[in-house]
Amino acid sequence: MRRTELACATLAFALISGSAFAQSGEITAWSWNIAASSLKATVPGFNKQFPDVKVTVEDLGNQQTFDKMLAGCAAGGVGLPDIISVENHESEIFWSQFPDCFVDLKTLGYTDEIAAKFPDFKRTELEVEGKAYAMPWDSGPVTMFYRRDFYEKAGVDPASLKTWDDFIAAGKKIQEANPGVSMTQADINGDSEFFRMIANEQGCGYFSGDGQSITANQPACVTALETVKKLKDNGLLIAGTWDEKIQANKAGTVATQMYGGWYEGTIRSTAPDLSGKWGVYQMPSASADGPRAANLGGSALAISASSKNKEAAWAYINYTLGTNEGQVTMLKEFGLVPSLPSALDEPYVKEDQPYWGGQKVWVDILSTLPKVKPSRGTPFFQDADKILVAAQLKYLNGQYADAKAALDDVANQIAGATGLPVAE
Amino acid sequence: MRKSVSERRRSIALHAAMLPLALIWLFPLWVMFVYSTMDDNGIFSQGVVLAPSDQFAANFAALERDVGFIRATVISVIVAFVYTLLSVALTSMAGWALASYRFVGKGAVLATILGTLTLPYFVVVIPQYVMVARDFGLHNTWFALIVPPLFNSLGVLFTRQTFRMMPQELFDAARVEGVSEWRIFLFVALPLARPTLAALSIILFLHSWNNYLWPLLINSDPSMMTAPVELGSLIGLTKVSWGGIMTGAVILTAPMLVLFVALQRHFIAGISAGAVK
Amino acid sequence: MRLRTRTAYAFLTPYLLVFLAFWIWPIVNSFWLSFLNTRTANWTFNPQVTWGRLLVDPAFANALKNTLLILVIQVPIMIALATVLAVLLNSPALKARGPFRFAFFAPVVVGEVAYAAVFRLMFNEFGIINKLGMTAGLPAVAWLSEPTAAMAVIIIALTWRWAGYNAIIILAGLQSIPDDVYEAATIDGVSKFRQFLFITLPLLRPVIILCVVLSVIGTMQLFSEPFLITNRGGPGQATETLGLFLYRMGFNTFNFGYASAIAYTIAALAVAISLLNLWIGREREQ
Repeated sequence: MRRTELACATLAFALISGSAFAQSGEITAWSWNIAASSLKATVPGFNKQFPDVKVTVEDLGNQQTFDKMLAGCAAGGVGLPDIISVENHESEIFWSQFPDCFVDLKTLGYTDEIAAKFPDFKRTELEVEGKAYAMPWDSGPVTMFYRRDFYEKAGVDPASLKTWDDFIAAGKKIQEANPGVSMTQADINGDSEFFRMIANEQGCGYFSGDGQSITANQPACVTALETVKKLKDNGLLIAGTWDEKIQANKAGTVATQMYGGWYEGTIRSTAPDLSGKWGVYQMPSASADGPRAANLGGSALAISASSKNKEAAWAYINYTLGTNEGQVTMLKEFGLVPSLPSALDEPYVKEDQPYWGGQKVWVDILSTLPKVKPSRGTPFFQDADKILVAAQLKYLNGQYADAKAALDDVANQIAGATGLPVAE
Repeated sequence: MRKSVSERRRSIALHAAMLPLALIWLFPLWVMFVYSTMDDNGIFSQGVVLAPSDQFAANFAALERDVGFIRATVISVIVAFVYTLLSVALTSMAGWALASYRFVGKGAVLATILGTLTLPYFVVVIPQYVMVARDFGLHNTWFALIVPPLFNSLGVLFTRQTFRMMPQELFDAARVEGVSEWRIFLFVALPLARPTLAALSIILFLHSWNNYLWPLLINSDPSMMTAPVELGSLIGLTKVSWGGIMTGAVILTAPMLVLFVALQRHFIAGISAGAVK
Repeated sequence: MRLRTRTAYAFLTPYLLVFLAFWIWPIVNSFWLSFLNTRTANWTFNPQVTWGRLLVDPAFANALKNTLLILVIQVPIMIALATVLAVLLNSPALKARGPFRFAFFAPVVVGEVAYAAVFRLMFNEFGIINKLGMTAGLPAVAWLSEPTAAMAVIIIALTWRWAGYNAIIILAGLQSIPDDVYEAATIDGVSKFRQFLFITLPLLRPVIILCVVLSVIGTMQLFSEPFLITNRGGPGQATETLGLFLYRMGFNTFNFGYASAIAYTIAALAVAISLLNLWIGREREQ
């Protein structure tokens, strides 16, 4: 009797440990920039628990990850890696056009309980008709990253900048006190980042919450576009791509960068010699008591249906995104903002950051996260975004009567491209 | 006497016009070479520096570490060789048939081939992609890299022209002796067409070596990337320095420049074959 | 010649198989695709979202405008330059002909990606062109983020890459002109310049028209340069060409139906403009 019990216990243990420890083989993940770097950073911790799984992370760049993923899905999943990174707002095209290209993570152990730990605004785009195609990764609470020395020289206290008008007045002073320095920088030629951040702050996006109509010409979006033009017309905003911003940061020719919280790691790792010179503050609003929280970017991880090692891939995703250890590793090393709220209770988050002049930057960056309003990407995000970028450039060059006219045109063009109606 | 003075003047004017123009034309190649030997601090340094530095090996090491450029180059070489061989074989056979025989449907075949000359490749790229990748699932295969681009009308017209200009009595004599058409083609016609085949091979090799769009579309697997696609994927990203990208550009370009100098005559014959109609 | 249908097709079959499978079938299939809505999981017949959209899409109009702009500005500059280059390279007075030929013909063997990378770097805001310009006292230009400047960069790059290619073809045409034509003119005291205008150019017309037709076809499917040099047709969509627009519709937004309609439009335009050129050329010959 006892023997049988023991045998049963041993067998049971063998089975349990078998499912946990016998994962082996190789898995590959696609990602970009610091997101790829942070995936690499969690591998050592993962390998302590799963020593036989070899994880390879490939950095393809953001646009190419997207392009290759679409191409691979169109080819029936051929050539895709096991794990794919996808930005939330761009993700719906995959689930709507290629539902068979990805594994329903629920079949691998992504229980409703685990899913419930993540905030709703990170889940809406990833789960369709009871299936979960991807697990939330990071988010991008918008933050103003600024050069303390430039602001101080002009006598500007960042805490006093509550509205965009305050920001503009301060910008003039800062540029005057620091010759050759621009107040801020945005990729107005190729991206809609500033528009989207301010629009999201003001509660507007390209599409309505249900994804069924176009809202790009609503008043809050008009305010956002007008703000971008005000910044440009006052000579405070110069054009710059991702690379050019990094060059400007290093060269000390820009005073403020507005980006998602994940930019913390980029500044820290590309300009290490400027330690102590940078700080953060909350984004300004349209009015003194207006909303000051927005989100830009933020991604998720999915597993391709053609993966030969789905269990191992799931084990890695679950370690990286589903444990505090994994999430905090990425936060520490590369500044990726965890979507997993329990990770925010980790001591690291509350620490003074020496690079940031001793500021508790993570407390400041994360404080706005609960106030972020969802912004639906829909499968048509790429269409809408390209249209906005082109119209924005024309508007900034004075080729539209006003922001409303520009956005009416944008909304009509999006309607033409997607077949969705423009909301009243 | 006066004539020679005016001729000298003209010669000076000629060289005075050509020399700066030639230097301007060589400038981008020189920049490519010089920058492949610098790190980014050198490239973006304040002054105008156009003398080579010593960072080529370091740039190459970075390029190889980040994207596996050697593997990509090997794939490119294999694809270019196989493609050239197959394409020359296919087009010279077709050119021979169109030059040597009267057959049912000849006019239609010729007209269709000529018709595609004015068609941009972009008309077929979408459905070609849908067919190869989506319907047949041949993504990331050697077949997909090599076979769909095989079709080219230039090769057929070029070889057809060559075979037609050969003395037909030669072939007829062989026929009288009972030599098969295949043997005539292989052992009589092809050896005579060697200059044409050389020119054609060089142009096709160059075409395949530099091909960008099709391999970009049809490959999603990084282990099947060709060198131009791999290099293109680095432009605009931060992960590899500009010096590294220029190093890749030099590796892609230098062998072709050497080939060009060595085989200039064939290159020019191949390109001006576009004018032979 | 005896009828040898079987032998002929034995030689033709491999070529025709590739031709039918990878050209003819896609062209036919593309026509069908251009009537489908391909943005849903099941593709359905709906020409309204393809051909219907084409008529009213400002992004298409923009790409068409940019392409025609390059056609009207870049192609004539390049062909004129190529003609002059060919004549000068053919001049017996030219010394060191080999190095000169190398300078102008070498770009022909440089791949799109390699030269696009070089031009993007040269015209970087902190690149060598601005450095040289500032040394000469000129202001720095934001080449790749100003719409007009970016288009100028594309035109400069294309001209650098293709002028030599066209010069090779024109040179071949020049060398087929018999010398005695010029000898007679020289004896009659006709100046070199007038010889060029009234003898060389008319005789070169067919070759030049061929170059124009080839350039038109090339321009209609221009892709790599704006894709790589100006970062996917930037700034905004200021350098987005028809080829790039087709790529974006096909492979960024995965709209194969719409992309097929665009492809047919590109083909129709290319054929129409080529025929127009040939027709103009023929008209004047008489």
